[in-house]
Amino acid sequence: MLRRTTLAVAALLTAGALALSACTSGGGTPGPSVSASAAAPDTDASVTIRLTLGPSNLDVRETAGSALDQILIDNVYQGLVARTPDQQIVPALASEYDVSADGLTYTFTVREGVTFHDGQELTPADVVWSLQTAKDTPTYRDSKRLAGITSIAANGQDVVLTLAQPDSTLLWNLTGRAGLIFKTDDAIDRKTQANGTGPFVLDTWKQGDSITFVRNEDYWGEKAQVAEVVFAYVPDTQAALNGALTGEFDVVAGFDATLTNEIEANGDFEVVVGASTDKGTLAINSAKAPLSDIRVRQALRQAIDKEAIVEALAAGTTMYGPIPELDPGYEDLGEVAPFDPEAAKKLLEEAGVKDATLTLTIPSHYPTTVSQILVSNLREVGITLKVNQVEFPTWLQDVYTNKSYELSFVLHTEARDFENWANPDYYFNYDNPEVQRLYAESLTATDADAAADLLKQAARIVSEDHAADWLFNGASVVAVGTHISGVPSVNVNERLNLAELAKSSE
Amino acid sequence: MIRYALTRAALLVLGLLVASALIFFTLRVLPGDVAQLVAGLDAPPEQVAAVRERLGLDEPVWTQYLTWLGGIVTGDLGASQLTGTPVASELMQKAQVTVPLGVMSLVIAVLIALPFGVYSAIRRGRADGTALSVGAQAIAAVPVVWAGMMLVVVFAVWLGWLPAQGFPRAGWSNPGAAFRSLLLPALTIGVVEGAMLMRFVRSATLQAAGQDYVRTAAAKGLTRSQALLRHGLPGAGLSIITVLGLQVAGILVGAVVIEQLFSLPGIGRMLVTDVGNRELLKVQGELLVLTGFVLVVGFVVDLLHRVIDPRQREAA
Repeated sequence: MLRRTTLAVAALLTAGALALSACTSGGGTPGPSVSASAAAPDTDASVTIRLTLGPSNLDVRETAGSALDQILIDNVYQGLVARTPDQQIVPALASEYDVSADGLTYTFTVREGVTFHDGQELTPADVVWSLQTAKDTPTYRDSKRLAGITSIAANGQDVVLTLAQPDSTLLWNLTGRAGLIFKTDDAIDRKTQANGTGPFVLDTWKQGDSITFVRNEDYWGEKAQVAEVVFAYVPDTQAALNGALTGEFDVVAGFDATLTNEIEANGDFEVVVGASTDKGTLAINSAKAPLSDIRVRQALRQAIDKEAIVEALAAGTTMYGPIPELDPGYEDLGEVAPFDPEAAKKLLEEAGVKDATLTLTIPSHYPTTVSQILVSNLREVGITLKVNQVEFPTWLQDVYTNKSYELSFVLHTEARDFENWANPDYYFNYDNPEVQRLYAESLTATDADAAADLLKQAARIVSEDHAADWLFNGASVVAVGTHISGVPSVNVNERLNLAELAKSSE
Repeated sequence: MIRYALTRAALLVLGLLVASALIFFTLRVLPGDVAQLVAGLDAPPEQVAAVRERLGLDEPVWTQYLTWLGGIVTGDLGASQLTGTPVASELMQKAQVTVPLGVMSLVIAVLIALPFGVYSAIRRGRADGTALSVGAQAIAAVPVVWAGMMLVVVFAVWLGWLPAQGFPRAGWSNPGAAFRSLLLPALTIGVVEGAMLMRFVRSATLQAAGQDYVRTAAAKGLTRSQALLRHGLPGAGLSIITVLGLQVAGILVGAVVIEQLFSLPGIGRMLVTDVGNRELLKVQGELLVLTGFVLVVGFVVDLLHRVIDPRQREAA
């Protein structure tokens, strides 16, 4: 009897573990810093920052997930160019750069006196090697973003990129993974180690728990003002709040804005809200009836109360098209599908849809707030919404790869990702030649304003086609200790640049 | 006795083998894989395929199973597909959190269950005995997560005595801090498990009280309580040991929840993360070790039974 019980318990243990689920991360860019406190910074300070989801490994060249971009780009690894908090492109490892008038030649002057964390000097040859391997290795992230480059060559201290046709997104792409500069043929195991040029050096990584950076004492630019930064990965919102209240965290990123009063209660923290490119995207699968009918899609959009969603999240803004305010090509498309349940009912009636049942597939790591509002909003217009919560890997397989879904919700965090609407193979199942043409034209535009204008036109079409719905444009919500300054506030999911981080020495 | 032990050991090995197949093949039912996660949200299918091939995920399932099993026989659990870290060393590292947490929880549970269980058995039918027994039933029904949150609010946020979450980065080289950070989580598991155990101790004690030899002792002039404590408890001890063995599994399951709640870098949290990353090679290694641990505890408990209980020995 006892033996059987033991076996049964062992089986239960197995089954229980199988029923578990975990999450993967989304993504956002550094923003204007939070106001500094007047006291002198303590240059020996250690600052602990709570983040939600840790990376599964540190291989920034191959492994997806904004958890890597967020902490490794700018802080540990750098590119020739970088993004500023207000999403401008500025020189980084290049001291200056020049783009020819025809948009076909990019000349970067590689900064001198830069060393990698292992002490070796950065040379133009390292730049050429890094960009060339990124371009030539299909398993590397964003490799295809360099596809338009025909040659990468060093000329003295300069590195020259030659293109077959202009690419208005190239500089931006070079501020991301495709443009990171590594040591030629570096022998480190990139999965667990890092060797970059940034103001911080990777010190230790405790898998699934924390990552520690220390100041790079030989940094080529302004040295960091803190000796150590610890990223503590704590998915649980309540645990994050408790850790802040007990002084275990100095900064809480990815904070739940609905808890603002709790964390500000004792005056040790201030909640800072910044813009982000997080797009709460309700994908609508137009390949499935009745969603193939544009009237039904429009009805869905007009049935959903975006203001209520933003209010429930206590942060963010409404958005009515695919491009958020931080990105080029934004315009307010609120008039395309304003909240109007009566209009929605009429549209459904016209389309002959009665008592429809739709299924929403949503990764389980998102809070249930959104799906609850959707269920009640759609019930108002006679649509029954079934919510199917799945693990993120399941979502990846069912929705992303197999496109087998009716409605799906995911937070798309990446900046300037309009290209997905111009890609008929993407899981959105949206195929509009006009949008594809406009996007292609914006790519080859040599003038930034012209490129943005073309994107604007394309975005309007996507919204007027009701290709999807955008439930909210998320905000970066960071709770910052009053003794801390220099924490970015904009698009923190994408970039958490800590070059100016400081802790006052009270 | 020897023959019994050998038979029992053979059963243990068979149980492990069955568990390995069960774990391996049920995990393969999960949709999605690690290659898809590595490649991410804007990877063309051919990129996913390339990653899949590099990770050896394109091999037939049976081949993967036999490779894994072959590794285990030689004591090699393989390495993480994402980081290249050997699964065994990762387990050892995370065990430094989970094992002390489990032991502390078990000690707390026993410290609560034994005195209160025996006392409420002795005071059966009296007001305080009944109150204890009803209280235990209520506490045993409390969800572990909720109990943990309450304890954090009181001892960490209000009183500031103990940390609310996390484990010191220095680990056990800073024993004071490490111990303090495990205290609240261990209390959480210990109180809930202890309440369950207490009800069992109470009924085992009552059962022993009804045995002939306790009645005989009482007839010889001992009070009922004295007879119970001196002659009844050793008998009840046997079944209490058995239940303790089963508690180990309960505590492991509790650890999965609690490590999430308190952000402790232990085996439970690693398991959750690895399932989420579809690191199946790691997950199956971790699950097999945990299952093996539970099976071994059962094995030891069975042997102890034979040794301690004279009636079972004669029957063999």
